[in-house]
Amino acid sequence: MSDRRFPAFSLATRNLSRQRLRAGLAALGIVIGVFAVVTLGLLGNALSVAAQEELGGLGDQVIVSPAEESGRETLDSRDVAAVRRAADGRGTVVPLQVTGGTVRGTGDQSFAQIYGTGNPQALFGNGSGAVTSSHRQGALVGSGLATDLALRPGSTVAVEQNEYRVVGVLPPVDGISPLQPDSAVVLPPREFTGDEVSQVVVRANSPEDARAVASGVRERLNSRQQRVSVFSLTSVLDRISEFFNLLNGFLLAIAGISLVVAGVSIFNVMLMTVAERRGEIGVLRAVGIHRKQVLRTLLVEATLLGVVGGAVGALLGTLVVVAVATQTELPLWAVLQPGNMLVPLGAFAFGVFIALVGGLYPAYRAAWEPPVEALRG
Amino acid sequence: MSAGPIQEATPPLALVDVTKRYESGGGGSVTALSQVDFAVAGGEVVAVVGPSGSGKSTMLNILGLLDEPSEGSVELRGETTAGLSAAERTDARRESLGFVFQDFHLLPTLSAVENVRLPTAFLPGDATDRARELLELVGLGDRLDHTPDELSGGQKQRVAIARALVNEPDVLLADEPTGNLDRDTGTAILEEIRRIADEAGVGVVAVTHDDLVTDYADRTVELVDGVMRDV
Repeated sequence: MSDRRFPAFSLATRNLSRQRLRAGLAALGIVIGVFAVVTLGLLGNALSVAAQEELGGLGDQVIVSPAEESGRETLDSRDVAAVRRAADGRGTVVPLQVTGGTVRGTGDQSFAQIYGTGNPQALFGNGSGAVTSSHRQGALVGSGLATDLALRPGSTVAVEQNEYRVVGVLPPVDGISPLQPDSAVVLPPREFTGDEVSQVVVRANSPEDARAVASGVRERLNSRQQRVSVFSLTSVLDRISEFFNLLNGFLLAIAGISLVVAGVSIFNVMLMTVAERRGEIGVLRAVGIHRKQVLRTLLVEATLLGVVGGAVGALLGTLVVVAVATQTELPLWAVLQPGNMLVPLGAFAFGVFIALVGGLYPAYRAAWEPPVEALRG
Repeated sequence: MSAGPIQEATPPLALVDVTKRYESGGGGSVTALSQVDFAVAGGEVVAVVGPSGSGKSTMLNILGLLDEPSEGSVELRGETTAGLSAAERTDARRESLGFVFQDFHLLPTLSAVENVRLPTAFLPGDATDRARELLELVGLGDRLDHTPDELSGGQKQRVAIARALVNEPDVLLADEPTGNLDRDTGTAILEEIRRIADEAGVGVVAVTHDDLVTDYADRTVELVDGVMRDV
């Protein structure tokens, strides 16, 4: 029988069952604390991961444009070549012409961004094979513009004075991008006069590559004078992820405080319970139960409150966050990512630890009290 | 009744020239026991009487290894207990001594059997059978699984006596064993204690106000202001 093999456990559960309401309330404190840690921790992580995913594409882009101080409006072929060298093996380099103009469809007209590039796939493909990597004739229109002007492949679109056949509609962009292809027209580069380009976009293979490309370009072109301005969102993304880390830490700290408060309530409950059972503990000591055995029994009591409260809190917290994810825009995969498994487990362990710590002093005080004084009552 | 105290070369429990002083508030001290020599033999029942504050409880606590003398020593089977660690004293209590209290001090969450085997709870082996036998011995064979709140005062004290005997002690220390019982129940409990002393050869030291206890004792000693004398 287990009560004979684990006497401390058996005595502890019976003692807890004596004051069910009080034990329940103490455990409830841990439930609330662990629940807070789990919900805030899971939500914070999920938000952070979802945001990284949403913004992830941004981090790979480096946009090189003429520096304002240089007084130039365009980049020359020397600049483009320098960018190509800096980006060698780190990503795709796409020179881009950018202007604006009036675009007319079948009836309506609209002012739109006009991009010129020979490789729309790299910038606007968005992972779909529908966009060509070699753009020689006709126009690609953004999905928003296509809807507004009722354009589809085969339609004719007028850009300023020239008419083009629509060869494709760009897939909608779901992330955030410094380019706005949804309301733009993409034309082949030869539709623009001259070799000079407005900017060069580098689609790097990774955020690290983007960082390396950005510093490489600065080194090559800006060492003597400020020829180009290099815009990379990698640092912005770093800031964003820093912000999320800070936010998560802050949320967890608040939740942690509620768990510490729960520990104080365990401390209080254990102090009350050992004060009430002073005589009993004195008897245990008198009949030959050792101090450490009394201590163990009382610590098992406190820890049980933490185990039960922690398990309930971790389970409830996880369920609530999953429910929130299914009811809101927060993607479920961001909640259920493997890294998030640690949150309920960690919160549970922390809850048990807090309960154990809360029980430590009362248990120690009770077990080490001289039995004569305890028996005197 | 008893054939009188059984004299042994070494008594199971003895006080040798024990003095106990307590520090009092004003820097002075109060002498609770003064140079007490005392021994209890196996099978002997000794009643300790005296007015309140005469040092009876102090003497019982020192005999029970719950408190330490300021001077002199407590001898357990002829060996001094001075210098034993707290853990060694705990073991000595468990192995050699049984306690019976005025307020019974049973654990309310445990059944009679569980209360009786409580001193063995952290030891290997299962004392359930022995606990059952002891409860039958004290006449509670039909109350084995009752919790203390389902038992009368006399029944509780019988459970406490069975608990005190579970480790086959040499000496039973009783603090006002009849203090919370009516006269008939008290008589029955004293008969029980007498029988245990006679049959099991257990020495009994009972601290009491109750003249009834002295009727069942082999001898009675009196404590007045910490000084012991025979009655």
